[in-house]
Amino acid sequence: MTQRISKYQRFKMMNPIIQFFKFIYLSIKIMIVVAGGHGGTRKVN
Amino acid sequence: MAKIVVLGAGISGHVAASHLRRKLSKEHEIVVVSPNSNYQWIPSNIWVGIGRMKSKKILFPLAPLYKKKGIGFKQAKAISFFPEGDKDEQKPYILAEYVTGDNKGKQEKVTYDYLINATGPKLNFEATEGLIPGQNKTYSVCTYTHADHAWEGLNEVIQQMKQGKKAKILIGTGHAKSTCQGAAFEYILNVEQELRKHNVRDMAEVTWIANEHELGDFGMDGLLLSYGSMTIKSKEMVEMIFEDRDIKWIIGAGVNKIEDGVAHYETLGGDYKSETYDFAMLIPAFSGHGFKAFNKNNEDITEKLFKGFMIVDADYSPKPYEAWSVQDWPETYQNPSYSNIFAPGIAFAPPHAISKPRVSKNGTPISPSPPRTGMPSGITAKLVADNIIDSIKNSKESLHHKGSLGNMGAACIASAGYGLTSGSGVSITTYPIVPDYKKYPKTQGRKLGKTFGDIGLAGHWLKLALHYAFIYKAKMRPFWWLIPE
Ligand SMILES: Cc1cc2nc3c(=O)[nH]c(=O)nc-3n(C[C@H](O)[C@H](O)[C@H](O)COP(=O)(O)OP(=O)(O)OC[C@H]3O[C@@H](n4cnc5c(N)ncnc54)[C@H](O)[C@@H]3O)c2cc1C
Repeated sequence: MTQRISKYQRFKMMNPIIQFFKFIYLSIKIMIVVAGGHGGTRKVN
Repeated sequence: MAKIVVLGAGISGHVAASHLRRKLSKEHEIVVVSPNSNYQWIPSNIWVGIGRMKSKKILFPLAPLYKKKGIGFKQAKAISFFPEGDKDEQKPYILAEYVTGDNKGKQEKVTYDYLINATGPKLNFEATEGLIPGQNKTYSVCTYTHADHAWEGLNEVIQQMKQGKKAKILIGTGHAKSTCQGAAFEYILNVEQELRKHNVRDMAEVTWIANEHELGDFGMDGLLLSYGSMTIKSKEMVEMIFEDRDIKWIIGAGVNKIEDGVAHYETLGGDYKSETYDFAMLIPAFSGHGFKAFNKNNEDITEKLFKGFMIVDADYSPKPYEAWSVQDWPETYQNPSYSNIFAPGIAFAPPHAISKPRVSKNGTPISPSPPRTGMPSGITAKLVADNIIDSIKNSKESLHHKGSLGNMGAACIASAGYGLTSGSGVSITTYPIVPDYKKYPKTQGRKLGKTFGDIGLAGHWLKLALHYAFIYKAKMRPFWWLIPE
């Protein structure tokens, strides 16, 4: 096994308090991508 | 009064039917024709397949909901399409065959004014010799019954490992042209975590096998994504996760035959190899359902409606990879020959793959087919429903709502392990889904910032939150429509 994720990174990934804020941040970020809308790609003359 | 028939009660069929019902008055009839009695939230099958969620938690019966909401429901499968009617029937119709109850085997002409074909993919296990869920030690998690069996199979191997037997676990794609690498990716990470939870990780060799030419391709030509303060490739992200979890990988592999505990495959380099295993979960090829279509003189017009999947407003002219563009992808999912037929979700025929097509030295195509995940399936279903609603309300065709996969973002929260405090998830968003190399030439066709990745416990909570939110929405509970697709 190669430890590619350092202990500190892993701590940040699994710490419930840090992750709670991450959860809110990610939810908002995802909503922005989703709510960014969608549309066509072809120009209509 | 208009009659709208929706084929399929999966993510896209159910989204279309529920929006149509909400926005159209009761004088208009909505009928769902689908062989499944239950709605299932497919993404959570991953957790059913590791024994952490009971399949009853991811499904609910459709008939009572549809009855309550005033949506007609025929538990039947569509067999053939008659978009001009026939000599006896003036109206267009589909021929459906009931699959259960007293009517089982009985066929019926279901007429329509508008038809939404949301029949998704056929899970084409037959395309790979010996790939049969529950046989030859191979399993699938594509449906909840498959996932239940997968857990039984995995649990058996875990119990054997507890008795001291070493085991090999193989997870990935079961065909040279399979798609849905994301689901297999989620499953391998969940299985790996379960092995640790059961204290048998040391007894297992866990291997990823896929038709991708490099890790993290996901059938999307890979991604360049923001990861923390860095910009990395999805290949690097997946490689980091696999190495960290001691998961081996075989890539550029087209699995072509399964025997009891042996997967035979061809590599892009042209070698024929095999891999043994004690438990395998391999995603099959997806194909169209093999529907036939006839005109009113009963002549076969299947090629007007189908190209494997259903033909829509895409540019299907054959082109080399270098000439592909986002404009090839459909915007309204309307069939060009019959303007009252639409195909959202997985049911539409994509113009081509998203990943660069690759062929082995022996001439065998080995590369992923284009994935179409839950979010775009829901979004395309809703826009099809909205166009039909506008057309009915304005008494003239309206195709105002558009949604090309080349101008749409998607979020994919891949579970990487279950557990309220020990779980993990890989959250990835991408914009656009189909890379636009002209608009974003320096960032692999996607907008950085809107294309990002993150790993951690929050990802698991997100996936769990989505599970509850989407089942709430699918049950059409109060204000369900406020939850976006
Ligand atoms: C294990 C797994 C995990 C996944 N995880 C995710 C995830 O985390 N996030 C994500 O975004 N996507 C995920 N996906 C992809 C997602 O499930 C699909 O994109 C989505 O289900 C496609 O919706 P659909 O309605 O087009 O097809 P389906 O959901 O397959 O629905 C098709 C419907 O058509 C019906 N049907 C079939 N034949 C007929 C017929 N002849 N007549 C009438 N009806 C018929 C079927 O019974 C079904 O009701 C996952 C897929 C799998 C397999």
